[in-house]
Amino acid sequence: MYIPDFDYHAPSSIEEACAILASYGSDAKVLAGGTDVLSRMKNELIAPKALVSIKNIPDMASITYVPGKGVVIGARVTHNDLVNSELLQQKYPSIPEAAHTMANNQIRNRGTIGGNLVNALPSADLPPILIALDASITLLGRHGKGIVPLEDFFIGPNRAAIEPDRILTEITIPDQPTTGSAYFKFGLRQSGAIAVVGVGVSVVASGAHVEQVRIVLGAVGPVPIRAKKAEQLLIGNLATEAALEEVGRAAAAECRPISDIRASQEYRRDMVRVFTKRALRKALHMQPAGEPVKIEGGNGDGMH
Amino acid sequence: MECIEDKYGIKRYLIQIVVNGDDRALLVTANTLLVNVLRERLDLTGTKKGCELGNCGSCTVLLDGKPVDSCLVLAVEADGCEITTIEGVAQSEELDRLQNSFVENAAIQCGYCTPGMILSAKALLTRNPAPKEQEVRQAIAGNLCRCTGYVNIVKAVMAAAATTEQEKRGVA
Amino acid sequence: MKDDYAVIGKSVPKIDGRAKATGQARYTGDLKFPNMLVGKILTSPHAHARILHIDTSEAEKLSGVKAIITHKDVPSKKYGISPARWDENIFCIDKVRFVGDKVAAVAAIDEETVYKALKLIKVEYEVLPAVFDPVEALTENAPLIHEEFPGNINAEIHQEFGNVEEAFSRSFHVRTDTYIGQRTYQSPIEPHAAISMWDGGKLTVYASTQSPHYFQYYLAREFELPMGDVRVLKTFVGGGFGGKMEPTGLEFGGAVLARITGRPVKMFYDRAEMFAHNRGRHRQIMELTTGVDREGKILGSYANFIMDGGAYTSLGIASAYYAGALLTLTYDFDNYKFDMIRVYTNLPACGAQRGHGAPQPKYAYECHLDNIARDLRLDPAEIRLINARKPNTVTPNSFRINSCELSACIDKAKKISGWNEKRGKLPGGKGIGIAVGSFVSGAGYPIYRTDLPHAAAIIKVHEDGSAATLYTGATDIGQGSDTVLCQMAAEAMGIKYEQMKIVSADTETTPHDFGAYASRQTLMSGSAVKEAGEMVKEQVLEMAGKMLEVSPSELDCKEAVVFLKSDPGISIPFSNVARKLFVDKGPLVGRGAYTPPKLGGSFKGAAVGTSPAYSFATQISEVEVDKETGEIRVKEVWDVHDCGKVINPALLHAQVHGALFMGMGEAIWEEVRFDKNGKIINPNLSDYRLPTALDMPRVTSELVESYDIAGPWGVKEVGEGATIPTMGCFANAILDAAGVSVNSLPLSYEKVWQALREKEAGEKQTRKPIEHEGYPGEPAAYEME
Repeated sequence: MYIPDFDYHAPSSIEEACAILASYGSDAKVLAGGTDVLSRMKNELIAPKALVSIKNIPDMASITYVPGKGVVIGARVTHNDLVNSELLQQKYPSIPEAAHTMANNQIRNRGTIGGNLVNALPSADLPPILIALDASITLLGRHGKGIVPLEDFFIGPNRAAIEPDRILTEITIPDQPTTGSAYFKFGLRQSGAIAVVGVGVSVVASGAHVEQVRIVLGAVGPVPIRAKKAEQLLIGNLATEAALEEVGRAAAAECRPISDIRASQEYRRDMVRVFTKRALRKALHMQPAGEPVKIEGGNGDGMH
Repeated sequence: MECIEDKYGIKRYLIQIVVNGDDRALLVTANTLLVNVLRERLDLTGTKKGCELGNCGSCTVLLDGKPVDSCLVLAVEADGCEITTIEGVAQSEELDRLQNSFVENAAIQCGYCTPGMILSAKALLTRNPAPKEQEVRQAIAGNLCRCTGYVNIVKAVMAAAATTEQEKRGVA
Repeated sequence: MKDDYAVIGKSVPKIDGRAKATGQARYTGDLKFPNMLVGKILTSPHAHARILHIDTSEAEKLSGVKAIITHKDVPSKKYGISPARWDENIFCIDKVRFVGDKVAAVAAIDEETVYKALKLIKVEYEVLPAVFDPVEALTENAPLIHEEFPGNINAEIHQEFGNVEEAFSRSFHVRTDTYIGQRTYQSPIEPHAAISMWDGGKLTVYASTQSPHYFQYYLAREFELPMGDVRVLKTFVGGGFGGKMEPTGLEFGGAVLARITGRPVKMFYDRAEMFAHNRGRHRQIMELTTGVDREGKILGSYANFIMDGGAYTSLGIASAYYAGALLTLTYDFDNYKFDMIRVYTNLPACGAQRGHGAPQPKYAYECHLDNIARDLRLDPAEIRLINARKPNTVTPNSFRINSCELSACIDKAKKISGWNEKRGKLPGGKGIGIAVGSFVSGAGYPIYRTDLPHAAAIIKVHEDGSAATLYTGATDIGQGSDTVLCQMAAEAMGIKYEQMKIVSADTETTPHDFGAYASRQTLMSGSAVKEAGEMVKEQVLEMAGKMLEVSPSELDCKEAVVFLKSDPGISIPFSNVARKLFVDKGPLVGRGAYTPPKLGGSFKGAAVGTSPAYSFATQISEVEVDKETGEIRVKEVWDVHDCGKVINPALLHAQVHGALFMGMGEAIWEEVRFDKNGKIINPNLSDYRLPTALDMPRVTSELVESYDIAGPWGVKEVGEGATIPTMGCFANAILDAAGVSVNSLPLSYEKVWQALREKEAGEKQTRKPIEHEGYPGEPAAYEME
């Protein structure tokens, strides 16, 4: 396979990067880890005239806690950085867990959170949990800064609400009263799987009594879907098995899956029901009901 | 990074990379992939091309110590980085412990996935010298093998870790 | 049966292990030659279309392009790996028959230029209606794919042994089940590659090949060259699994490009092109009817199959015969009927994939038999023991079985898996299943009709006697034949494995061998090697006898020391003797060859399935099914094999692991899928799911003692035998775990979920096939808010 030649720039500041992007109109793309951009170029899905690498731009690759603001994740943070972040493991362990389900180790060492969000795959694993945790993103361009709730960032498959001359610089998870969050990915093998269904939830609960909940569905619509009707059924109520089943059904009714090479529409819908319940149980720190015991990340703990 | 334009308007960039401990300077076009620089320009054909889309891991190299698919890294993006390929694993005529373990534990059949496997495993053992079996499987989950079913590969990595452990404790 | 071998039976490290572990091993795509060009093939975007016009003028103008060829520039002789069906051209002449069919080829100075040139070649097509389903292709109005094959029938097989109708009429219970297999693809990790170069009238091709001989033979035939002027060799091959048995456009086209340009030309497929080229496993629709007596003994079986052959024959005729032929191996019954139609469709051609036509039928039969067991309230292991073949028997289709330890395999598998404690007693969602299998140890007859021996070997002992080189045409594609044959050579000569060198799979320097397929090399190539080694030993003992002044019959040689059997203290190093031999008589050489005995019956197709020996295996697997999602987790698999004498235990078990892994992938995850225009929608390793290290269960591989007179030291095969029971084993385990039957492969999570829903609803719904929309990650259409 080959990639047609292109202009390459590796500026050392955001301002420079935005100016270069602007000079190409909409014919240039930002290059972060490259795992999405380069494979799309190899598959001839895109053919940008220029790639503007952000590898030399400082202050884009850390995960920090900023009091009054929240956890701030630089766009160039890789998926394995997310997996290994002690700060995230402590504050929002569902994010490292979600990142860990992505692709494989090699891809996670290059792929970045910023690149992943801008690529806007309907099946992406980070958006559901980030949206459930009320994340917002910062876009920088020549005409200043914009802060967008992540929930509003996705327009359609591979389309995010970002102008060609703007760069996503950071993701902020605001301080919030969440008592638990979880991301469940349902894929067709234990590694290197694209989500058939992804469910991210975040709750504020005391015991089984739910005060607040956000349920976000991935891979079952052109963009991640907030299952608001399902949320309403749970807010202010007790998370009994019956209630969870109702919530699951409601979420299943709200999603808009298609049938494709990985799964049929009906299957996806039913899996939304199942995994919404499982994600809620986990976020509520309840015992899994009737699920097979999951050995971390895979099976087979012996060999000949 | 310096850039030179030829008479056809094609731009080439001077990259400076360290490959297996050696300083290398090369002129590459922007669309040159790291895997091709290694295989075609530096004659390090131990790194393989299996799928060219980051799904099989046979192009795995260590980039600043981290396993990556070199088929999805532009050479210009690797400027200033340290790269270790399979050829750089053995420090001398003697094989690295991990390589020996692969040979001794029948973890190699056709051998095409082996370089990538060894590098993924090496990176794991460097940061986690005493991994659990599940951690080994996680580390090589991005390296597809069609011959072994991974059974002896996992065994070989665990065995290499165990002998290192034994030596540390002065047992072996 | 001697058991104190010095070299065989030991898990010596692979002779090429170090080269592969250090990256020194060069595969075809790694090789470079001075002045070499790169070439690729332009393929058809249409499944069925007439070629109206090919315009290469723009491409030719591109700087760096050295040659472009189409059907006008190459021989038009039809070829194919099956002599019964020469139905392919190097480049399509009048029409293309599948998406990926060969239209032209380009050679240029580098890869980038080749890719650009391919895009500049303009081909005008007249798109024709296409057919993608074998049943549809058989109907009257279906598009005709090959003029010479009316009704799109590529092969039709009708065999009957005994009388099944009669057997059914006196059966206590008769049952029919239908199963559908799926298209899978070998997907070796190393892509196909070939480098062709000419030296005057002599063609040399380095190829990623399983059989230099078949490549040589067909290249020579196509270009009308004497075989001696075609040299085919391999360096290292990264897996084949049946897909690298036949020369492709890379060899044929590459040879012509090399001729025209006068330069070496390296041709290769990328992963997507590999999928399109295919020659993988056929999709089969399999209807089985079996009659049993009150005790569960099989009285007769009728196998009625249809195979989707794709657009060309490849190795498909043999696969079609094997599909039915091998069903008589594991169970002893006298009445058997087999009907098969292999049908052309406008999809990539199917050929031979590990197990060569047999795995899917065995999946079907093992599930079918489990159903019968359930009908009769018999334990599935019990019904298999009742019917298991015994040694020294003959199948109804005239295969002679010498050794057979199938019953012992079943018993041992039951024991090590805890079958009796688990069957019917595992908690909800968990299940255990069993299946058996058998495979040939080499085919009784080669692919084309010839009286050539199947294998030949030469051993040359080094002048100073410190080493010996084995020359064999046997082809190591990763399974370890180089290693195993060196062990056999060393054993036969009485020297050490460490002294062995090997030159293999080069038609110019190594003696004839048919190559790596049908699991033939350990038995067949090994026989030739043993003979060669014994010839060396005979000469050595004779010379040693003179040197020690004893009769050679009083001597033996072991671990490179010739010794007096009655007083081993009296000895002389092998090297001394060998050196003296060379000084006195010239090169110390041993020769060997192997031809199987005349095997099989005299009915049509009797040859396919014949073999000097058959392996047998039992697999038991424990699975867990998530009843809400249908997700299948295979927890543990036990494989017990009867494969005769084991030359290298570590490599043998490694082969079982690998074969089982492939069977597992095909059972649960793998399927080549097409859109409505016949284009593959998952020609990549993301959506064509090979199991990863995290998907593998615990695997226990064990053996039973066995010995077959047909093989050197009693060897049989193992390379394909472990793929055969696997799909049936998992299907039976899933049925036990979830109470549902999935009658088509792969046994995907969704199918299990579907079956569970249907069971809950208490009704059997017929389901429409899933629509394939769009490209993964690029959904075709969503409802927009």
